[in-house]
Amino acid sequence: MSVFSDIFFGGLFQGSLYAMMAVGLALVWTTIGVFNFSHGVFMMLGAYFAWQLVAFGLPVVIAFPLAVIVMAGAGWILQASVVRPLIGRPNIVLVVVITTLAAGSLIENGALTVWGPRSKQLPSLIEGNTTIAGVGVSLHQIAIIVITPLILAALWSFLNRTRLGLALRAVAQNEDASHLVGLNVTALYGLAFAIAASLAGLAGIFMGGYRFMNPSMGADPLLKALIVVVFGGISSISGPIFAAYLIGFFEAASNYYFGLYWTPALLFLVLIATLMVRPEGIFASRSRGLA
Amino acid sequence: MSESPILSVEAVTAGYGRVTVLHDITLEAGRFGNVGLFGPNGHGKTTLLRTISGLVAPKSGRVVFDGKDITGLSARAIVATGLIHVPQGNKLFPDLTIGDCMALGAYSPRARPHEAENREKVVKLFPKLAERWRQKVRTLSGGERQMVSIGTALMSHPRLLILDEPTLGLAPKIKDELCTAVMDISRGGVPLVVVEQDIEFLLELSRQLFLVDHGAVKTEIRPGESIEHSEIMAMYFGH
Ligand SMILES: Nc1ncnc2c1ncn2[C@@H]1O[C@H](COP(=O)(O)OP(=O)(O)O)[C@@H](O)[C@H]1O
Ligand SMILES: [Mg+2]
Repeated sequence: MSVFSDIFFGGLFQGSLYAMMAVGLALVWTTIGVFNFSHGVFMMLGAYFAWQLVAFGLPVVIAFPLAVIVMAGAGWILQASVVRPLIGRPNIVLVVVITTLAAGSLIENGALTVWGPRSKQLPSLIEGNTTIAGVGVSLHQIAIIVITPLILAALWSFLNRTRLGLALRAVAQNEDASHLVGLNVTALYGLAFAIAASLAGLAGIFMGGYRFMNPSMGADPLLKALIVVVFGGISSISGPIFAAYLIGFFEAASNYYFGLYWTPALLFLVLIATLMVRPEGIFASRSRGLA
Repeated sequence: MSESPILSVEAVTAGYGRVTVLHDITLEAGRFGNVGLFGPNGHGKTTLLRTISGLVAPKSGRVVFDGKDITGLSARAIVATGLIHVPQGNKLFPDLTIGDCMALGAYSPRARPHEAENREKVVKLFPKLAERWRQKVRTLSGGERQMVSIGTALMSHPRLLILDEPTLGLAPKIKDELCTAVMDISRGGVPLVVVEQDIEFLLELSRQLFLVDHGAVKTEIRPGESIEHSEIMAMYFGH
């Protein structure tokens, strides 16, 4: 019983983090049609902003939301500086891979200069531990498991229940037609980046509360988010969310039965096998859209 | 009869990158009612409409809508003036429902107060759309998608509607249905600029035709001038 709950909680927890990261990546891909390779750096930046605000003496309930809001601004600025000028170029997908990688490495080194290489840690969302179904879990993990679906649900209803969300979904599908109904396409692109950066920043805050932070902490989550998004199918946000949890459970189970060492290799094996059966899940998919 | 033109295109040169498609094109629309544009494929009709609606920035020349210089304005700013463009093809928003598209049509602040009233008009014009309100655009037939395109434009509360080949590639029956709808829109008081291959339809709809050829107006046909269908066909193909 305890094995099952171990895997269950581990999977839910990892899945939540992956979903939080992957959804932003998918949002940017579906609306703008580019991959944001500074998404991992957004995660790191969110964690460090939060750390800095806490270090300034702000209470966590103010510092964390404030860091998430600041991240929205950071996302907007990044979009305006390294993505927007390239929109309309035929090779935009590749060029933006380079510009976002470059910006990401610049920001990472900036963070290293400002905050130094020493590992830091954020306070937990909730301090303490508890035992559920025979496994000990921290309240921080429980908080993440509960908060993530709420935020994803909020994002889903924003996209599907509001006029602004409708506009974002429209831009994702047809840019010309969006112009012709009078949408502010540039602002919507900025908004997509802002939301994505906020979600990544929040994922960073989640992670900083149970693991040591360092300026390159976003690299592995970015890779995972890419895997999730490729695995789940790129043309929606529900696909990646589903895939995030699936991969979370897979890793938790694989960690338990095969060990940490083999899990990444097994994950790639499953990924490749999946893509051989269902290749339309990946980059090749021509249709973009948020759902 | 001849009022001031609602739309004038003055010596506009435009294209894509280094390729120039429109060469010093000049035309006035609305002085004599609806305007029809025709001409061989690939000669710049679509590019002209895209330049008018702000999707393509002109290299030189002026576009004036209802006395206001709209040259170089963003497409969004042009939508805000009430000049609404129904683009060629019917790609639209494949994963949105018909209802979503109509809500988008009314997105601009100018159109929003008229949303309910315009929705009623659209439903009356295209009862088929009402039956499929929650259906995704990608699941519709070509004719139905064209209806959604036109319906979306009507939701934008147009003061001038420009239509790019609204009946392209449609079966005769559905084509007739759309032609009737377009005539109805015109009778409802919205002036039209229409690009069409179907000359019969254009002659029925408009009292002023322009033949667009090699990115310029080659011939203008004014109201009152009696013109034979065969003569137009000769102009069309005889170059
Ligand atoms: N997006 C584009 N990029 C480059 N050239 C284009 C583009 N769209 C159209 N063209 C070219 O412009 C010319 C005019 O096309 P178009 O305006 O679509 O003509 P029409 O509507 O009269 O058929 C054609 O030679 C076409 O190949
Ligand atoms: Mg055309």
